[in-house]
Amino acid sequence: MLYWLSAWVCGSGKTLNEIISLQQVTYTYPGTSTPAIKNISLAIPAGQFCAIVGGNGAGKSTLAYTIAGFVPHFYHGTLQGEVSVAGIKTSSTPIHDLVSLVGLVFQNPFNQISGTKFTVREEIAFGMENLGIPRDEMAARCEAMMALVDINELAERFPLGLSGGQMQRVVIASILAMQPQILVLDEPTSQLDPIGSREVLAAIRQLSSQHQMTVLIIEHKLEWLAAYADRIIALAEGTIIADGSPSDVLSDETVWERGVGLTRYTLAARQARAEGRWPAGLKLPVTLEEAIESFQAAR
Amino acid sequence: MDRIKKDFSTLTLVMIPVAIAINIAVGQLIFTLKIPLYLDSIGTVLVGVLVGPWAGAVTGLLTNLIWGLTGLNVVSAAFWSVAAVIGVLAGLFSDAGWLRAWWKVILAGLITGLIAAILSAPISAYVFGGVTGAGTDVVVAIFRGMGLNVLPASFAQGVSSDPLDKATSFLVVWLIVQALPLRFIMRFPRAENVKPA
Amino acid sequence: MSEALSLYVARPSRVHQLHPLTKLALAGFMLVGGLLLPGPWGLYIFWALVTLPLAFLGRILNQLVIATLRVAFPFALSVFLIQGFLWTGGTPLFRVGPLSLKQEGLAFAIASTGRILMVVSSFLWFALTTRPDQLMATLSQRGFPAGLSYMIVATLQIVPRFQARANAILDAQRSRGLETEGNLRRRLKALLPLVIPLVLSSLIDVEERALAIETRGFNRPGQKTNLIVIPEAPWEPAARIGILICAVLVVGLGLWLR
Repeated sequence: MLYWLSAWVCGSGKTLNEIISLQQVTYTYPGTSTPAIKNISLAIPAGQFCAIVGGNGAGKSTLAYTIAGFVPHFYHGTLQGEVSVAGIKTSSTPIHDLVSLVGLVFQNPFNQISGTKFTVREEIAFGMENLGIPRDEMAARCEAMMALVDINELAERFPLGLSGGQMQRVVIASILAMQPQILVLDEPTSQLDPIGSREVLAAIRQLSSQHQMTVLIIEHKLEWLAAYADRIIALAEGTIIADGSPSDVLSDETVWERGVGLTRYTLAARQARAEGRWPAGLKLPVTLEEAIESFQAAR
Repeated sequence: MDRIKKDFSTLTLVMIPVAIAINIAVGQLIFTLKIPLYLDSIGTVLVGVLVGPWAGAVTGLLTNLIWGLTGLNVVSAAFWSVAAVIGVLAGLFSDAGWLRAWWKVILAGLITGLIAAILSAPISAYVFGGVTGAGTDVVVAIFRGMGLNVLPASFAQGVSSDPLDKATSFLVVWLIVQALPLRFIMRFPRAENVKPA
Repeated sequence: MSEALSLYVARPSRVHQLHPLTKLALAGFMLVGGLLLPGPWGLYIFWALVTLPLAFLGRILNQLVIATLRVAFPFALSVFLIQGFLWTGGTPLFRVGPLSLKQEGLAFAIASTGRILMVVSSFLWFALTTRPDQLMATLSQRGFPAGLSYMIVATLQIVPRFQARANAILDAQRSRGLETEGNLRRRLKALLPLVIPLVLSSLIDVEERALAIETRGFNRPGQKTNLIVIPEAPWEPAARIGILICAVLVVGLGLWLR
């Protein structure tokens, strides 16, 4: 199955280095005067696990919708600049063609369950049915997707009767069944309890690490992002203020001042520095491993 | 035809089940509070006002069919046409700009209730023997005792409750629309009808 | 909340195995009969000869009768009391104080009750034996607009959640001291703080639900496929035509007998 998934991700025709490309993108929602995102230029290579962080109103969701094509097709408004996904310009491609390229998962699992199916298996097939996939293929993909996010035992359950974490994994499976090349997740765990969050984040991590899926995730759980993301992009007031490895971005104090949080480890190190027990020039750690190293070096 | 297609965008398709659920949930809440009104068309009126007459009609129709299909209130299913007309009227009043002043809102509700009573009476008289099976039958009894026939008595009972019920519903919808953020309202086809003049 | 809003009860019956459209045809037939056959006794005969056997075949006879009677009883009571005793003019059968039970009123009441029985039974029989999503799937396959079938099934699934949310708001407001008992004015005042939050919070969801359904390709033009096959016996299409003919005959009979 690993082979099959990798073949699907990599062999879809266009093997581009940059699977997502934004150039000088500015977007204003209808009825507002200030742009939600300003002059964003971004290139994301295929297979990268990229996180987007930022305070409220920073433009994170807008960026996600832009990549998925909902800006401008669903929200209208004025979009300037060029947005390309797998080489295709989103502004000139209708949404129903884009959904097989970019999958989008939101916060509230309940709102994403279609409400038309009475079992999890059929729910997962819903997107495929809309795409006109043949029955045998659908049945096979349902099995594969349920195994992927570890919900095999839920196959015959009523989707809306599940827990938040289970429901969200059903949603992810349903989106993946449509075989997008990119998965965008907008705060997928913010409405889940700790157990549900853990389940969902584990599934996402597995997608990225074992199946080389291009994943773009908006999240606030910085410790987790610091440990697993390849790249963090920090937004504030609609522009990118930092873009790099978690270690660089999350130890950058200017980023913190603009609304992004700090990991526990960074906070601890800052505290040590405030008490004068941190050597000058030593970078603040963002993960547990870095913290162990740095604190040992600081001694 | 184009206007109808435009009215039935994805937002409308998603809004209608929510509106039907509002109809049902509020209707049952009223029942729990033992208030002598129905208030089971708030969702229908809301959709009629914001999206348009056709969508309002569909909301009303489906609400009553679902009441019947789910056994919650099998009787309502027979009045699907009345519910549809309420949705249409809400849309028409919205287009006529009546949703911009509170007193016009109440008047629109009263008129809608009157029309609803006119349309319900024959159904009630023919299918349900002219009675409602509820406390409101006291009203029917009074009118029958006064010598009115089955149909007029049904109508009289309707007139004694529907206009007030629909006026209240329209008013509640008006209040809701005032409370909704402008950005949200702007997404609907008939947003202009409810924006403050 | 862990169940959709549906009367459907699964039974291993021949009726349950029928195609949804066949059941729809049968329910329509019963409804037509219930509306057009003249009373007072024609309706009861129809009920006994058609509806009850169909319910028996569906192994839902108990549920059907109990549910039908539960719905019909308040009407029956009212109609006998009001139309029986307050019938204008007519021939009195016996007196109770100043009121008298009229023969015409009694006949009217019997007929009305029969009609209510038929109409309610038709609906309930159909709802008890048919899975809503399967009904919608077959209709969609036959050209029923996908949007319409989406709206119906989605409503069935979200209503229980709304009811739960309404109750939660009721409890929350009560714990804040909202008066929900007492005189009418107080109860009316309790109304708005309950209704408005419910409606506002549900409308916020609408935008996200629309986005979510778009991400599943719902608006893609072109033919949709189906994961589940709904079984249909080869004789069923012909049977449906037969039922349609019977319905027409019943209509004719009903009109002729008037």
